[in-house]
Amino acid sequence: MSSLTSALPPAQGTGARIARWGLYLILLLFAAYYLLPLLLMIATSFKSPEEIRTGSLLSLPRDFSLDAWSYAWNRACIGADCRGMAPYFLNSLVIVGPAVVISTLFGALNGYALTKWRFRGANIVFGMILFGSFLPSQVILLPMAQTLGFLGLAGSAGGLILVHVVYGLAFTTLFFRNYYVSIPDDLVKAATIDGAGFFQIFTKIMLPLSLPILVVTIIWQFTQIWNDFLFGASFAAGGAQPVTVALNNLVNTTTGVKQYNVDMAAAMIAGLPTLVVYVLAGKYFIRGLTAGSVKG
Amino acid sequence: MATLSINNVRKQYGSVEVLKGIDLDLTDGEFLVLLGPSGCGKSTLLNMIAGLETISAGEIRIDQRVVNEVHPKDRDIAMVFQSYALYPNMTVARNIGFSLEMRGQSKPEREGAVRRVAKLLQIEHLLDRKPAQLSGGQRQRVAMGRALVRDPKVFLFDEPLSNLDAKLRVDMRTEIKKLHQRLGTTVVYVTHDQIEAMTLASRIAIMKEGVVQQFAPPQEVYERPANMYVASFIGSPTMNFVRGTLSAEGDRLGVSIGRERSGFLPLFQAPEQAGHWLGQEVILGIRPEAITCYDPAIAAGNPALVKVACGVNVLEPTGADTITYVELNGHEVVARIKPSDRVAEGESADFMIDMARANLFDPKTEQRI
Repeated sequence: MSSLTSALPPAQGTGARIARWGLYLILLLFAAYYLLPLLLMIATSFKSPEEIRTGSLLSLPRDFSLDAWSYAWNRACIGADCRGMAPYFLNSLVIVGPAVVISTLFGALNGYALTKWRFRGANIVFGMILFGSFLPSQVILLPMAQTLGFLGLAGSAGGLILVHVVYGLAFTTLFFRNYYVSIPDDLVKAATIDGAGFFQIFTKIMLPLSLPILVVTIIWQFTQIWNDFLFGASFAAGGAQPVTVALNNLVNTTTGVKQYNVDMAAAMIAGLPTLVVYVLAGKYFIRGLTAGSVKG
Repeated sequence: MATLSINNVRKQYGSVEVLKGIDLDLTDGEFLVLLGPSGCGKSTLLNMIAGLETISAGEIRIDQRVVNEVHPKDRDIAMVFQSYALYPNMTVARNIGFSLEMRGQSKPEREGAVRRVAKLLQIEHLLDRKPAQLSGGQRQRVAMGRALVRDPKVFLFDEPLSNLDAKLRVDMRTEIKKLHQRLGTTVVYVTHDQIEAMTLASRIAIMKEGVVQQFAPPQEVYERPANMYVASFIGSPTMNFVRGTLSAEGDRLGVSIGRERSGFLPLFQAPEQAGHWLGQEVILGIRPEAITCYDPAIAAGNPALVKVACGVNVLEPTGADTITYVELNGHEVVARIKPSDRVAEGESADFMIDMARANLFDPKTEQRI
C-alpha cells in the first residue's frame, strides 16, 4: 500500500494539508469505534469482580489477574456441566479441522473440473452451485435435520462436519472456479500430452499453483465454521456442541452475581482462533504465482 | 520419424463447420507449415492431430495407424505451445522430464535424458530455475526441450515464436530449422507469419475458412499461387493485380491493360487454356520484383522482358531495395527496384516486366488460369 500512496502527487497548499489531517482524524475515530469494545473485553477479562463493581468501565486493570481466564477455560459452568470452555473448544477444533479441509479440497476439485474439463452443461452446474451461496442458512435447517436423521448422524460432530462441508462447497467452488479460470488451459493440454491424467494434473500442477486461493478459502471457511452458531445450536446435542454455543450457554447460566470478567474471558477464548488464523495466514496472501508460466 | 496422413478431416461445432474436408499427406521427415489468418482453422487442425480436439469426420494416421480414438499421450507426438505452457511450480529440469515422470521412468533415466536435451538446447545452466526466472527466449527453449525429450514421431508447433521479439524470433527460427535438419523428425508447424512459413517449410498448406487453398513447396506457392488469395497472402509487398483483357497481337497472346496500344503485355508462355479466354477479362498478377528498371543489355538477352514506360509516384526506400509505386497504363503497381536505379518521384522512366513470372487469374473465381 505504501507504494500506492507514494505514487500519488504530494498534497499541496494548506487547504490540502488540512483535508489530509481531517481524513486521518476520521479514520482514527473509526478505528477507535471498532477497537474500543475489544479493548473493553480484554481489560475486563483481566480484572477482579470487585474492581469491575467499584472501578470505571473503561479503566485499565489495576491488579492484573488471569483468574477469569483459567476459570472460564476449565471451571465455569455451562448448564450443569462445570468443566469450562475447554471441552467445547476441542469440539470446535474437531469439527472445524475436517470440515475446512474437506470442503476446501472438494471446492478445488469442483473448480478444476468446471474450468479445465468443461462438459456439456458445466455453466448450468456452476450456476446451481453458485445459487447455493445465496441460500440463507435458516432455509436448510429442517431438511438438513431430516437428512442427518436418515444418516444416523444427528447430534454428532460428524453430522455437523457434513453440514458445514455441504454448505461451504458453494463458496469454495466459487473461489476456486474463479481462480482456475485465470490459469491458462494450455497447461492442462501440455500435461495431457505429457501423459498426466485428471488427478495427476490436479495434484501435480493445479494444487501447487493454488496457494493464494487456498489461503483465502481456508481463512474464509475457518472463520465461517468456527463462528457458526446456528448450525451448532441446531444440530449438535449436549457434549458435542461447539464453542460458540457453549459461550452462549455459559453467559446465560451464571447464577448469583454476574461474572463479567469470566464472560469476557470466555468470549475472548471463543474468538481467539480466528484472530490467530488471520495473523498467521495473512502473510501468505501472495499473488502472481502463475506469473512466468505464460508469455515472455 | 513418421508419416502423417490427414484424410478428409472435418470439424464441426454445432452447425458451424470450421474444417471442411482437409487432405494432407506428409512423408517421413517433412516440415509442414499450416499458414493462414486467425480463424482459418489451422490451430484446430493441429489440436486434432494432437488429440486435444475430437475429429468430426475423416481420419488422421500417424505411421499408418489411425489415431482418431487414441489418447494424446499414446500418439507419440509432442507439442510446443504459443504460450509455452511451462508448469510454473516446477523447475526447468522437472518441466522437461515431466512426460518421462508420467511414463514411469526411473529418476536416473530421466536425469540422463534431461541433460542430453539441455545440452542440445544449451540450457544446462537453467535446469534448477523456475519458469518465472527465465527470459522469453529461454522459456521458448525449455518448451522445445520438453517436446524433444521424448523423441516423438511427430512434433507439433503452435505459433511457437509469436511471443518473442523480432530479433529473437529470427534467431529461434534458424534454430528450429537446424534442429529439424539434425533430428529429421516430421513436423507440423502452425503460423500466420509468411516468412516463417517460407523459410521453414518443406511444404506449406495455406488455409482459409477451413479449406486448404494450396499445398505445395514454398517456392511453388510463391511462384505459382493457386489463386489470388494465396498470391496476396505470400510475399511483401503483395503481388500486383491488374485487370485486363486477354487478346492476341499477331500470333502472340497477351493481356491488354488500359486503352493505349502500349498497354499490350505479351505473355511469354501462355497457359494451355488461355485460348478459351481470348477477348475476356482476366487478372494479371505480377510480383513487385518482376518489374525492374529497363536495361537494354539485359532486355536483349531475355525475350520474356517487356519494356513499358511508367510514371513514378512514390518511392519507399527499405535499404536493400527501393519500393517504387509506378503508374502502368492507369493502374498503380508496385515495383522492387535496386536503390542505384532509383528514379525521382514525379518523373517518367522505362521499366521492364518479366512476363515469364506473370500469373493469370479468373476474375470471377479468383483461381489461377
